[in-house]
Amino acid sequence: MLEIAGLRVVMGAQEILRGVDLTVGAGEIVAVVGANGVGKTTLMRAISGVYRPSGGQIRFEGADIAGLASHRIVARGLSQAPEGRQIFSSMSVRENLVLGGGPHGLAELDRVLALFPLLGERMSQNAGSLSGGEQQMLCIARALMRRPRLLLLDEPSLGLAPKLIRIIFDLVASIRAAGLSILLVEQNARGALKIADRAAVMEGGRIALAGRAADLAADRRVAETYLGGHVEA
Amino acid sequence: MDYYLQQLVIGLSLGMVYALVAIGFTLIFGVLNVVNFAHGEVYTIGAYAGLFVVAAWAPPLAALLLAVLAVGALTGVGLERLAFRPFRRFTDEASLKSRAMREATLMSSLALSIIAREAIELIYGSQFQTVPLKLLLNEPIRLGPVTIVNGDVIIFVTALAMLLALQFVLTRTRVGLSIRAVSNNALGARYVGVDVDRTIAWTFVVGSAMGAVAGILVGLYYGAIFPSMGFNPGVKAFVAMVMGGLSSIPGAVICALIIGVAEALSTIFVASVWQELVAYAFLIVTLIFFPRGIFGGARERV
Ligand SMILES: Nc1ncnc2c1ncn2[C@@H]1O[C@H](COP(=O)(O)OP(=O)(O)OP(=O)(O)O)[C@@H](O)[C@H]1O
Ligand SMILES: [Mg+2]
Repeated sequence: MLEIAGLRVVMGAQEILRGVDLTVGAGEIVAVVGANGVGKTTLMRAISGVYRPSGGQIRFEGADIAGLASHRIVARGLSQAPEGRQIFSSMSVRENLVLGGGPHGLAELDRVLALFPLLGERMSQNAGSLSGGEQQMLCIARALMRRPRLLLLDEPSLGLAPKLIRIIFDLVASIRAAGLSILLVEQNARGALKIADRAAVMEGGRIALAGRAADLAADRRVAETYLGGHVEA
Repeated sequence: MDYYLQQLVIGLSLGMVYALVAIGFTLIFGVLNVVNFAHGEVYTIGAYAGLFVVAAWAPPLAALLLAVLAVGALTGVGLERLAFRPFRRFTDEASLKSRAMREATLMSSLALSIIAREAIELIYGSQFQTVPLKLLLNEPIRLGPVTIVNGDVIIFVTALAMLLALQFVLTRTRVGLSIRAVSNNALGARYVGVDVDRTIAWTFVVGSAMGAVAGILVGLYYGAIFPSMGFNPGVKAFVAMVMGGLSSIPGAVICALIIGVAEALSTIFVASVWQELVAYAFLIVTLIFFPRGIFGGARERV
């Protein structure tokens, strides 16, 4: 579904991505974990066409999308709930969802509200006045309005209370159950590795380690660095 | 008392003209964080285009306004292509509203405005062009003790209709929602698949169409069309935008009306040559006491 090979992104004099290889298969959840500043968001932005890759390939459903304008990539069925949420804070929840739907408008609304019933009660409220958790839900809901086949999630649990984090992770699992593929970037490695099929660890602009999520979760080195101590086998 | 009332009506129609011009400034500032210095010339081009259409076909007023609307829209597309898009080569979200972009487009729009003014002078000369008498919007209307001209009414009604149409576009159409989305969060707009370049072009289309119509309305009202006619309303509209909080449309419209009415009423107290200073006084007061605009505060300042 998504195949990334040798992806490089250069910003000014800085090479931020230095040859990233990563694949997401149909119906898979792939998690990317890593310390702050290793380039996870840069990777996500490059995939969505917000940053222009300096080298390498990004193939989505067989076609090379590296360097395409972001709106063309979205139109192909690849949506993202980006870091920082980037919702339209001075517009209503409904308008955010309409914009998310693009040419489909609100056609997907019932299915999306079934996942996020809370948003249904806030449709005419200003998005900026939603709570942090609600904003995160809106951000994911907005991305789903476009009926993507691949969903990119950049730190969906950031800044949320533990209970809400669990809800978000459950949601991600149920979104996958509906047939979407998901590429998930997370600081919360424990939760991410639990729901992911495969995972990759990023270090210094490269994939340092990749494999089945369960294997990585059991890996001693990963456990010490990203899970905050040992995991019981 | 009657004189006050009469000046109030005149001020409202004048204010509506400023509002039409201010909307272009406001919309463009919203999506790009820049002041489009060629906006006054769009107004002038609207007036001359109207003059040309009148000379060639002498259509009824409604058709004339539609023709000018179309010319304004095309002018907007051209203006964006020539003075703004060339500086937007980078796709990175940080550069869309960057300082370098702001300074570059400031110069390029200023340059284009000079070229446009000189081109008009080359073609039509620098003297006043007079509007055929029968098209002049100065038929007196008697409302009890108050006498105004039909131009006051026509300007007010036309401008009001355009404001309502704008409201519809911005809240009900995909183009309008995209304009507001880019204005609110350009990066977010890219993530939902908004074509940002096309949306910016549409913003110029909408803003310039309204500015051009304002130009021909005023041309028909005063009966004089000349190359630098866009300067004064440009300044007033700019002040209205700043007073209104830079990217708030309701704010700009209300402030434009305030300026128009204040100007018209000022002639009661001072000689009309001082009228031009009213807007500057408002600007100074705003900058000192309301640095984020009277209705502003939503957005950072230039
Ligand atoms: N537009 C840019 N210009 C210059 N440097 C950038 C730009 N975008 C990202 N960087 C740099 O690239 C590096 C990686 O940033 P990135 O946002 O991808 O990290 P991240 O892995 O997502 O970190 P976090 O976990 O904190 O979100 C950082 O050092 C950052 O400063
Ligand atoms: Mg990040």
